Amino acid sequence: MTRTFTLPAGSGRFLAFLLLVVLVATAFTLAEPRFLSTQNMSAVTRHMAANGLAALGLTFVVIVRKFDLSFAGTACFAAMTIGYLIALGQPLWIAIPAGIVVGAAIGAFNGVVISYFRFPDIVTTIATGSIAAGLAFVYSNGRTIFQNFMSSGILDLNDARVFGYSLSFVFLLGLYAVAWFFMHRTRYGASFYATGENPVAAYYSGVPTRLYTMLAFVACGVTCVFAVLLILAESGTADTNEGANLLMPAYAGVFLGTALLGRTSVLATLAGTFLITMLLDGFSLLGIPFYYSDGVVSAILLAGVVFFDARLREFLSDIGSFLQPASVKKEKRS
Amino acid sequence: MTDVIVHPSVARLDTQKPKNGLVSRYWLLATLVFMVAVFAFLRPQLVDSSNIATILRSSALTAIMILGLTWVIAAGKIDVSFMHVAALGNMTTAYLLAGGHGWLVAGFAGVSVGAIAGLFNGLLVAVMRLQPLIVTIATGGICASIAAALGKGTSIRIADPGPLGDFIFTNIGPVPVIAIAVAVLYALSWYAQEKLTFGHYIFATAQSEAAVDQAGVSVRNLLMLLFVFSGVMSALTGVLLAASLSSGQPMIGSSYFIDGLTAVLLGGMMLRIGKPNVLGTTTAILILAVLVSGSALLGWADYQRQIIKGILLLIGVTVAMRAVNGRQSQHPEAS
Repeated sequence: MTRTFTLPAGSGRFLAFLLLVVLVATAFTLAEPRFLSTQNMSAVTRHMAANGLAALGLTFVVIVRKFDLSFAGTACFAAMTIGYLIALGQPLWIAIPAGIVVGAAIGAFNGVVISYFRFPDIVTTIATGSIAAGLAFVYSNGRTIFQNFMSSGILDLNDARVFGYSLSFVFLLGLYAVAWFFMHRTRYGASFYATGENPVAAYYSGVPTRLYTMLAFVACGVTCVFAVLLILAESGTADTNEGANLLMPAYAGVFLGTALLGRTSVLATLAGTFLITMLLDGFSLLGIPFYYSDGVVSAILLAGVVFFDARLREFLSDIGSFLQPASVKKEKRS
Repeated sequence: MTDVIVHPSVARLDTQKPKNGLVSRYWLLATLVFMVAVFAFLRPQLVDSSNIATILRSSALTAIMILGLTWVIAAGKIDVSFMHVAALGNMTTAYLLAGGHGWLVAGFAGVSVGAIAGLFNGLLVAVMRLQPLIVTIATGGICASIAAALGKGTSIRIADPGPLGDFIFTNIGPVPVIAIAVAVLYALSWYAQEKLTFGHYIFATAQSEAAVDQAGVSVRNLLMLLFVFSGVMSALTGVLLAASLSSGQPMIGSSYFIDGLTAVLLGGMMLRIGKPNVLGTTTAILILAVLVSGSALLGWADYQRQIIKGILLLIGVTVAMRAVNGRQSQHPEAS
C-alpha cells in the first residue's frame, strides 16, 4: 500500500517536535509578549528542572516496561527527611545524601520485590508509595519544617547561576547528558532496552535482567529526591506533600515524549518535559486558574498518546490513500 | 510486562494444594474478625449501634464506587480515574442543584457524566488499545480539572439534600438502608461473576485476551462494558456523596484513591487468589472501614492509618504471591 499521508517518523519526528515548539512559542508570544522575556524563560527552565528530574528516573522504569507509582510518596518522605536533618542543624552534605539514601532505599525495595520476587509492579509501588507518604508525617507530625533553612545554604541551590542559567537547569542538562550517554552509547543502556523488550531473550543473552529491573527502580527513587530537593530549595520549607505534584508531570513528560519521538528514551523525556513545562508556564502567564493546569497536562498527554499512536497513523494514511487522484495511484502501483 | 494482578500459571490452576489454600483463601476474613475483636476489646464503642451504622454507611458508599473497578482490575486492566470521576459526578450534581434544577435532573446528569467518562476510557483502552494506566491517569486528571472548574476551585453548598439524603440516613435498626441495598447489589454481582458466563469472560480476559477473542467473545465489547460500568458506579457514588455531605467537594476523590485500590487489590487476595472479586472487595472494604473507625477511637493520626493500609496491601500481595508461587513452575528468566 502506498503511504502518502503519515505523520513523520524517525528524525522527521524530531523536526516535527521542533516545529511544534516553535508554533506553541509563537502562539503564546502573540497572546502575551512577556512569554519570550528572559525572566519568563528562566522561570520555564527552573520549573522544567524539577519535573524533568522526576521524569528521568521514571524513563528508566518505563524502558524496562514497569510502572512506578511510588515516587511521589518517596519524594515527600525524602523531603521531610532532608528538612528534619536541616532543622536539627546538620550540614547540607549530610542532609542531602541522607535524603538520597532514603530514595534509593525505597527504590531498591520496590526493585527487589518486583524483579526478584516478581511482585506486580503497580500494586507494590502503590503500597510503598502510600507507606512512604505516611512516613513523611513522622518527623514533625505533619507540620511544615522551616527551621534553619535560611542559614543552611539550601536556598543557594535555587539562586545560584552558571553562565546565566540557574544551577538547577544546568544540573538537569548535565544529568540528562550523563543518562543519554549511558543509555544510548553504552552496552548497559542497550541491556536496559533488551530487558524491557524481551526479558527472556535478554536473559539468555547474558543480561542480568532482574538486576537491571531493580536498578531502574533505584534510579527512579534517586532522581525523584533530586527533583524534590530543587522544590525544597525554591520554597524554603519542607512540607509533607512537597513531592505529591511530581507524579502527573513526570508521567506526562515520559509518555508525551514517547509519543512525539516514537520511543521511550532519555531525549524523548527531555522533549516531552520541555513541551509540557512550556505549555503550563504559558497558561499560567495568561492567567488561567490553577485548577486547569492538571487538566491541561492530562489533555496534552492524552492528545499526544492518541494522535501519535501507530494505529491511528496507519488509519490516517489509509484514509489519505483514498483521497489521491486515481491516476497517480495507478502510476505508483506499476 | 506490567502486571496489575498476580497471574497464576494457567496450566496448573486445578492442582491447588488444599492445605495452603484454606489459609490463603480466608485469611482476609480472619483478619477482619480479628481486627473487630481487638478494636472492640480496646474500645467497646466500636460496636455501638450508631458506630456500626456509620461504618456500614461509609463502606456502602465505597463499595458502590469500586464495584466496577473490581471487575476492571479482574480483567487485567486498571482504572485510576475512578475517584476523579466520582468527584466529577459529585460536582456536576451540586452545580446543577445550585443552578436551580431538581434532584432528578441533577442526579441523572451526574451519573451520565460518569457514563461518558467511562465510555471515553473504554474507547481509548478497548478500541484503541492504549496503556490503561496512562489513559486513565490522563482522563482522571481531566475529570478532576473539570470538577474543580465547576466550583471555581472551591466546594458548592447544597441547600436541600433531597430524597437521596433521606435514603442515605435512614436506618433499619443499626443497619442503614443503603447498606442493605449495596448488599443486594453485591449479591447480584457475585451471581453474575460466579454463575454467569460474564464472570468467566472477565477472568479469562486477564489470562489471555487473544484466547478469549479466539473463543468468539469480543474482548473489546467486554472491556468497553466494564469501563462504562466503572464510570457509572463511580459517578453514582459521587451523586450519593453530594446528598450525604450536602455539598459538592471537588477534592473528594483523592481520599478514595489509595483506599479504593487497596480494597480491590486486597480483596483479590481472598477466595480467588490473585483475582479481584466482589466478595473479597466487600471484606477488604469492611477491614479498611473498621481500621479507620477503630484507629480514630484509639486516637491514631491519619498518617499512621495510611502506613497500616500500605503494609496491609504489601502483606496481601505477599500472601497472594506465596499462594501462586507454590503451584507455579519456576522459570529462570525475569518476569
